[in-house]
Amino acid sequence: MTEPILSFRNVTYTYPGTEEPALSDINLEVMPGEYVGIVGLNGAGKTTLGLCVNGVVPAMLGGTRTGEVVVSELDVDEYPVREMAKIVGMVFDNPEFQMSQITCAEEVALGLENAGVDVDTMTESVAQALELVGLGGFQERSPLGLSGGQQQRLAIAAVLAMKPQVLIMDEPTSNLDPTGKQEVFGLASTLNQDYGMTVIVIEHEVEVLADFADRIIVMDKGKVVMNDTPEKIFGQVDALNKLGLRVPEATELANILEKKGLWQGPKPIRTGEAVSRVTEMMGGA
Amino acid sequence: MSMTNVMPTSFIPRQSMIHRIHPVTKMVWVLVYIVLAFTTQNIFVLYGMALFAIGLAILGGVFRPLLKAAYLIIPVGSSLISLQVLAPAVEQPWTPIAELGPVTLYGDGLYYALVLLGRIVSSMLLTLVMVMTTHPSDLFLAFSKLKVPYTFNFMLAMTLQLIPVFQREVGVVLSAQKSRGMKGSGFSAVLPSFVPVFVGAIERVQQLSVSLESRGFGSSGIKTSYRRVVSRVQDYVYAIAGALGMIGLIVYSILQPRLWNLSEIVVFAPETVLVTFTISVSIFVLVILGATFLSFRRT
Amino acid sequence: MASGKSKVTAPDRIETDLAIKVENAHYEYLAGNVVALSGVNLEVKRGELLGIIGQNGSGKTTLTKLLNRLLKPTSGNVYVNGLLTTNRSVQEMSAHIGYVFQNPNHQLFARTVKDELEFGPRNIGVDDSEIDVRVNDAIEFFGLESYIEEHPYRVSFPVRKLVGIASVLTMKPSIVILDEPSTGQDHQTTRVINSLMRRLAEDGTTVICVSHDMPLLADVVERVVVMRNTEVIADASPREVFADGDLMLTTNLQAPQITEISLATVTKRGGPIALTAQELADDIVRRVANRGTK
Repeated sequence: MTEPILSFRNVTYTYPGTEEPALSDINLEVMPGEYVGIVGLNGAGKTTLGLCVNGVVPAMLGGTRTGEVVVSELDVDEYPVREMAKIVGMVFDNPEFQMSQITCAEEVALGLENAGVDVDTMTESVAQALELVGLGGFQERSPLGLSGGQQQRLAIAAVLAMKPQVLIMDEPTSNLDPTGKQEVFGLASTLNQDYGMTVIVIEHEVEVLADFADRIIVMDKGKVVMNDTPEKIFGQVDALNKLGLRVPEATELANILEKKGLWQGPKPIRTGEAVSRVTEMMGGA
Repeated sequence: MSMTNVMPTSFIPRQSMIHRIHPVTKMVWVLVYIVLAFTTQNIFVLYGMALFAIGLAILGGVFRPLLKAAYLIIPVGSSLISLQVLAPAVEQPWTPIAELGPVTLYGDGLYYALVLLGRIVSSMLLTLVMVMTTHPSDLFLAFSKLKVPYTFNFMLAMTLQLIPVFQREVGVVLSAQKSRGMKGSGFSAVLPSFVPVFVGAIERVQQLSVSLESRGFGSSGIKTSYRRVVSRVQDYVYAIAGALGMIGLIVYSILQPRLWNLSEIVVFAPETVLVTFTISVSIFVLVILGATFLSFRRT
Repeated sequence: MASGKSKVTAPDRIETDLAIKVENAHYEYLAGNVVALSGVNLEVKRGELLGIIGQNGSGKTTLTKLLNRLLKPTSGNVYVNGLLTTNRSVQEMSAHIGYVFQNPNHQLFARTVKDELEFGPRNIGVDDSEIDVRVNDAIEFFGLESYIEEHPYRVSFPVRKLVGIASVLTMKPSIVILDEPSTGQDHQTTRVINSLMRRLAEDGTTVICVSHDMPLLADVVERVVVMRNTEVIADASPREVFADGDLMLTTNLQAPQITEISLATVTKRGGPIALTAQELADDIVRRVANRGTK
């Protein structure tokens, strides 16, 4: 029986100066190597949840947090954020707002510099991280001269250089064009499938999550309201629509057909499944 | 949304002997130049230093960019000469040397203008050469070796990076407000232009802080540096040579004060002053007209 | 006709029904070193709901900036409501064509939401009583009643997005450009913006939406202009554009999932190219029913 790599127990959090809690009694577990998608309306608490994992909430943002957050057997409350940064990497929605250094290499090395890693190891780690995200050879380039997709991959490299066990991405593609989106989602799935990294993606792009995620968590008004496989979550089309959320169009289709009595069984969440089922329905050929 | 690959401090990458010199040595030289420039009133020393800086620029392969960056010398020089010849900023009595209609021209003014200009030119040219031949990251590495605190250094580096970003942001905001009919400049344009940029800056800093914090930034403890610069024997030699040169010249000036300020030895002929004055005023007027004209042209 | 060496100057004004007419527009910068737009021709009728898609760098932003006169074409002509943009200022054109920037924070600066909504019409000389009417209409249309006296930066981001759009609409331009209206928005806000665009077009406003959001475009627009590498490479209905597999491949874009499903199932059998789940479902229902009656 493997231990979860991340667990929240009875976590409630209120931002300083506010009345309503941003997170209410969160209980969840993530197993190592899982790809977890988190969906919910803006303001549902998704970002706050992510920030609890590396301790930025409450250490940097203040406020009161009760309950327990444990990552890789370390209680987040007992370690400073700089220690958590070695196991949890976090990437945010605006690629440019994460850049601060003059060269790409320095951006990637920033975390390592602050961890006191020696120069030779750093040079090696930086090169590896850049290769991994498809920016090999970009060491001397200026981060501000890169495209959005490249900048976001650079931000991921900067996090990967620390060799974290958990990667959290908060709406990483909302500011990217379709090419950029592909690059980032592709990278996320490579890291998860080829390198066994635990990946948590907060997103609105449900079709992509349906393709890659092992599990979907639905949040609403600070609470976790659903937590299950993508098939089971997206299958509950009406419940999600009531929460103001979208499901993959394939699932929506099956939902409409089910209401007309033409669909039996589980609803597809991916294009391929939908195509085969519909083709069957029309008599094969 | 991406900009061209701009180095924030107009660094010009080349393989030159000047580029290879240690950044701290270069900073020592900048200091030497500034100290010398502002203590001497010997125009030969000043313009000699300027020529030496130009020589370094040629060695460093940045001569043409230097010329382009130094164009400011024209308006500054012409205005200095024009004004000083009319009203020297030295102690009375002034020596009138020529008359141009109702206006009296003073020779002391010309000398003093040349001193002031020489100070600006020599220190500016050398600083420019040093900046153009030093990678900005190495510059900041030099600062940290000189014990500038990490956070301060970081903020300085980041500010430099963000200058082109904010220029762009101001441009975007101005476009947005013009698209809502906001007319031109003046006080009514300030608020709609700056509030959004300010808010954007705050948002950026907030998000950046969280991103940095999430990478373990700013924590106390040993910090290493990715960037490394090799210190060679030559670097020490050049730095010491510069420092000694400066000390030597200052000692000499104390022993031979008359050579430090040549205003009594160098006397200009009236024609020289007249001609220089006329040229300077013409250039200055042209510059003003040109600038006014450009500011009225619309894109 | 002019002959010999004299250059024919473009007419300052043309008689036309078209809201927008772009004639062979080129845009270059950095002294011709960078070409952002090559030979673009575009005609948009009044009341059309048009989408422009393409990767970053394809020229779509440059094109929209030519339309509202933030940029002047290096060569070629742009006519908005029959007026040549080159001879006019951005401010003059703002009475005809509104541009909603992607990030509302780039526009908002006033003390209250109400002041923000008044800024635009005041700039173009609308008189006070009319401004009041327009502002009240906008507040009602967008449901901003509870935010009137709020500071624009104190309201939530989705509301700010609406305030951004509203503050352009109070200028009552006959053409509106929305730049990435749904980026970073959740589904609820996107739906509000969708229905807004439809309402505007129904009221006769010409709406141009620049977006990466394929389902949004599939749902709302009647016509899609596809840009790639500084050129317009397709200009057709969403159905035709999304059904063109080669086009989608070369532009590295992906049709909405439902369209992909449709293409692989009913379209091959003579059915429609579905843009929404409802449409595809209806066709499937029909087919199954027909099978039953055979």
